[in-house]
Amino acid sequence: MAVTEDEVKHVARLARLEVGDDEVVALAGHFNLILTHFERLQEVDTSGVVDVVDAVDVTPWRNDEVASWDGRERALAQAPDRDEDYFRVPQILEEA
Amino acid sequence: MALSFQTVIGLEIHVQLATKSKLFCSCSTDYIGARPNSNVCPVCLGMPGSLPVVNGRAVELAAMVGLALGSKVQQATRFHRKNYFYADLSKGYQISQFDLPICAGGLLVFDDDEGKEVRVAITRAHLEEDAGKLVHPSVDGRLAGALHSLVDYNRGGVPLLEIVSEPDITCPPHARRYTEEIRRLVRYLGVSDGDMESGSLRVDANISQKVSDGRWGSRVEIKNMNSLRSLERALEYEVKRQRKVLAEGGEIHQETRHWDDGEGKTRSMRSKEEAHDYRYFPDPDLPPLIVTADRIEALRSLMPELPWQAERRLVDAYGLGADDAKVLAESAAAVAYLDGCVQAGAEAKRAANWVRTEVLRVLNERKISIEAFPLKPESLASILALVDRGKLSTTAAKDVFDVMVRDGSGLDTAMAAAGVVSGRVEGSRLEEIVEKVLAENADAAEAVRSGKDPKDKKIKFLQGLVMRETRGQADVAQVASLIARKLS
Amino acid sequence: MKLYARSAADLARSIRSKEHSVAEVVEAHLSRMERMEPILSAIITPLKEEARARASALDIALSRDENPGPLTGVPFIVKDNFCTRGVRTTCASRMLEGWVPPYDATVVRYLEEAGAVLIGKANMDEFAMGSSTEHSAFFTTGNPWDPRRVPGGSSGGSAAACAAGYAPLAFGSDTGGSIRQPAAFCGVYGFKPTYGMVSRYGVVPFASSLDQIGPFSRTLEDLLLAMEVIARPDERDATCSRALRPDFRKALDVTDLRGKRVGLVKEFEGYDIDGAVIESLRSAREILIDAGASVVDVTLPTVGHGLACYYIIAPAEASSNLARFDGVRYGFSAEADSLIELYHKTRQGGFGPEVKRRLLMGTYVLSSGYYDAYYNKALKVVAILRGEFDRAFSEVDFILAPTTPTLPFRKGENIGDPIRMYMSDLFTLPANMAGLPALSLNGGYSEGLPVGIQLIGPRFGEMEIFSAAAVIEKSLGLPRLAGGVL
Repeated sequence: MAVTEDEVKHVARLARLEVGDDEVVALAGHFNLILTHFERLQEVDTSGVVDVVDAVDVTPWRNDEVASWDGRERALAQAPDRDEDYFRVPQILEEA
Repeated sequence: MALSFQTVIGLEIHVQLATKSKLFCSCSTDYIGARPNSNVCPVCLGMPGSLPVVNGRAVELAAMVGLALGSKVQQATRFHRKNYFYADLSKGYQISQFDLPICAGGLLVFDDDEGKEVRVAITRAHLEEDAGKLVHPSVDGRLAGALHSLVDYNRGGVPLLEIVSEPDITCPPHARRYTEEIRRLVRYLGVSDGDMESGSLRVDANISQKVSDGRWGSRVEIKNMNSLRSLERALEYEVKRQRKVLAEGGEIHQETRHWDDGEGKTRSMRSKEEAHDYRYFPDPDLPPLIVTADRIEALRSLMPELPWQAERRLVDAYGLGADDAKVLAESAAAVAYLDGCVQAGAEAKRAANWVRTEVLRVLNERKISIEAFPLKPESLASILALVDRGKLSTTAAKDVFDVMVRDGSGLDTAMAAAGVVSGRVEGSRLEEIVEKVLAENADAAEAVRSGKDPKDKKIKFLQGLVMRETRGQADVAQVASLIARKLS
Repeated sequence: MKLYARSAADLARSIRSKEHSVAEVVEAHLSRMERMEPILSAIITPLKEEARARASALDIALSRDENPGPLTGVPFIVKDNFCTRGVRTTCASRMLEGWVPPYDATVVRYLEEAGAVLIGKANMDEFAMGSSTEHSAFFTTGNPWDPRRVPGGSSGGSAAACAAGYAPLAFGSDTGGSIRQPAAFCGVYGFKPTYGMVSRYGVVPFASSLDQIGPFSRTLEDLLLAMEVIARPDERDATCSRALRPDFRKALDVTDLRGKRVGLVKEFEGYDIDGAVIESLRSAREILIDAGASVVDVTLPTVGHGLACYYIIAPAEASSNLARFDGVRYGFSAEADSLIELYHKTRQGGFGPEVKRRLLMGTYVLSSGYYDAYYNKALKVVAILRGEFDRAFSEVDFILAPTTPTLPFRKGENIGDPIRMYMSDLFTLPANMAGLPALSLNGGYSEGLPVGIQLIGPRFGEMEIFSAAAVIEKSLGLPRLAGGVL
């Protein structure tokens, strides 16, 4: 299952990472090297293993109580681009 | 040969759950009118190292909806991460449910506008967190043309229950009715305020056409329908559009379209550079969510009567008309109020009429919920008892009702304040009133006396004035004979 | 003995008895740090003024006979992925170079409540991705036994700082060996607790299902003291156990291992392991047998697939965990004309090459069409591996294994060969895959370099490991302070 350079570019878009053309070649090579190691996993018979929810670890329930946080101003102060009470982002060309 | 079409609609309804705090952190969910980014913390701002902890109440509210819809409330479920990038999403993923939703299956049965029964199967209902809100400070407030957008994460993390229907809906009015019924249910259960305008209930529709020549149009997703009316209009528009394209031999592509309420059209959203690949995987920060059988049973035992059950009971037990029953069964509190009146001895139909007209009128005027209504059901029942015994006319009773609501006073005080005397106005008191009316309307009285009232218009006018003075507490025949005697 | 050479327990005792002030103790460690740092470069952000201010506040409290915590006045260092309120937390990445968290990691809070004094934040591989601390975006750290060599990673700065006497206690995070491997390379104790033993809240995650927080120390007593402070329930971490923890220091009294069974993993025998490591394992085995333990071979047939599973699961989770670094709310943010450009340029400019490589790999294995072949398959193989460990622990009380196949390698030696770098996690990552507690301890020295050995226990079987470690420490003595050779 060899990874093509196009696939690397597709994955980079999904991960919102810019990769240059020179990087793509190296990354495809790296992917393929690692994937050959992964291929060995197919040797393991997992047919009996069901992906069941393990009830040993159970997520705790929080009570529905409101607590306010005193760090809002410090959080906004760290915003790379702030407009008063808002975080600001450049224009959204792509719809959600 | 003319083609015929069959409409296929499935709905995804997002309901904001009425918890005090967010789904995975303790921030307030009360974001409407709040200062931007004031209900936030490291968790809902997606700060590095912060971790989610589930709000148990949200789980319970979700399970209640499931129980009401006849879903299987699953004991072992889990949360997944839905990965995508957007400015209103603080973590680069939304915590949602995927393969194991809290509620699986279910059925909603309701009557359409013609009274015909409609059955829509529920696929699933799952918990997820809401996204933040974007503000586009462009000239027209829309996304297009804004050089920047502003992000407010106050809404980010508010619990949502996404209720997904099977594609069982066959026409836009049924889609509207289904949504009305879901809205009534979540309001009735107190699970959500169900307000579409403010976004606490949001509907996305998937709509397609099956053509009689065997073709299937692709599924189109419609978004941005902010009222029941726009839902129905958008779907009507889309039915016509899709049928026209298919009738002309064209193809419907799978896409998402935005409803523009002003234009009355759906519009294709800018096509994305690639299809979404959400890369769902189990959220490793949240171990499996276990709702024990005991907990589900405890919830089941606490479940109130459901709106459609109440509606039927009001018809069957109280003999109400279908319309009255439907209006009252919009709200659990209204039904409870009516039940209170009946328990306090009021006649059910009369009480229902009063609740529907007078009580709901006051609630609307004052913009309060029935829980905050100042008059107890027993008090209304005591007014109605006087009416039943003929001691109070309906008009007088309404005056008393208004005073009691206004002043919060007791029945006797309110009657005195309204100038209402319990029982008939007759004898010398009635005579006084008649004389006063005749004196104040001497022209009319003279016309009657001198026989210039051929069609009895003037004498009827005088009778009416007397009845008004007595707040309807006098006998009409007695009033008529008294006036006739005085003017003969 | 110099103050910086003393143990945390010893320092806390002398502070409590007023033999030394907190200021003296803190100053001694700060000057040690100042002297060694030009050679080692273990610290990203030293906190000298903050530490001095805190020391004088603690001294005032002590003068009023206020009840000191168990670590009052003890200096400590944390890996720079622990959030510290008001102090920048970089994860050794350009992405967070100037980020100042408005909150503390739970572990930092617990340590400060116990009276400990934070004196610096340590270098690491960027976002904990690496095994040599060479993937720090800022600088590389030297091994205190030979600065031309790496200290291991990803918690290399913490391990080097502890080994060299900057502080008796340092803390790191371990996703596939990131505490134990640098502990072995630097000749100190390094412990990865059972998954769920210590709160992860406020520690910037790499792979949430594998990450655990743990201590470095130069004595077993210090390690257990630190564990007693940090291993507590935390309602902010849903994966943190709500159960009571044992009194870890009780293990210090153990001298006798009669009836205990030590497991040796058959499959590990076939690996290419350095002779010095084999030698240390052999002597540890003898010590355990002398204390009355019996040695049993156990088999973990699937363990060889651990590396592949790890390099699928960890990057997959990381690709999601690191999606929040988008230039909108905090951290590095590139100039951009559109949102999509902001994402691409920010993430391109903010992440280093190893992080990008792993994010891409993680995105790939989760993407549609590959999820079942890779991610889901890996989860199932891990489930099998867990079952194998369960069976092994029905036969033995703990497992003795190498920590790393080699001694500390030279800087640059493996940097161009990711696969070879990944191989250094071979013996450590099975414990992460199965959520098990595992301790690396010093098993001796070879040509001036420390040799690490590893004890792995069953889930929440910390006391088994600590008991065995107590016996080994009594026989081998304490690990040496690394500054001596410089």
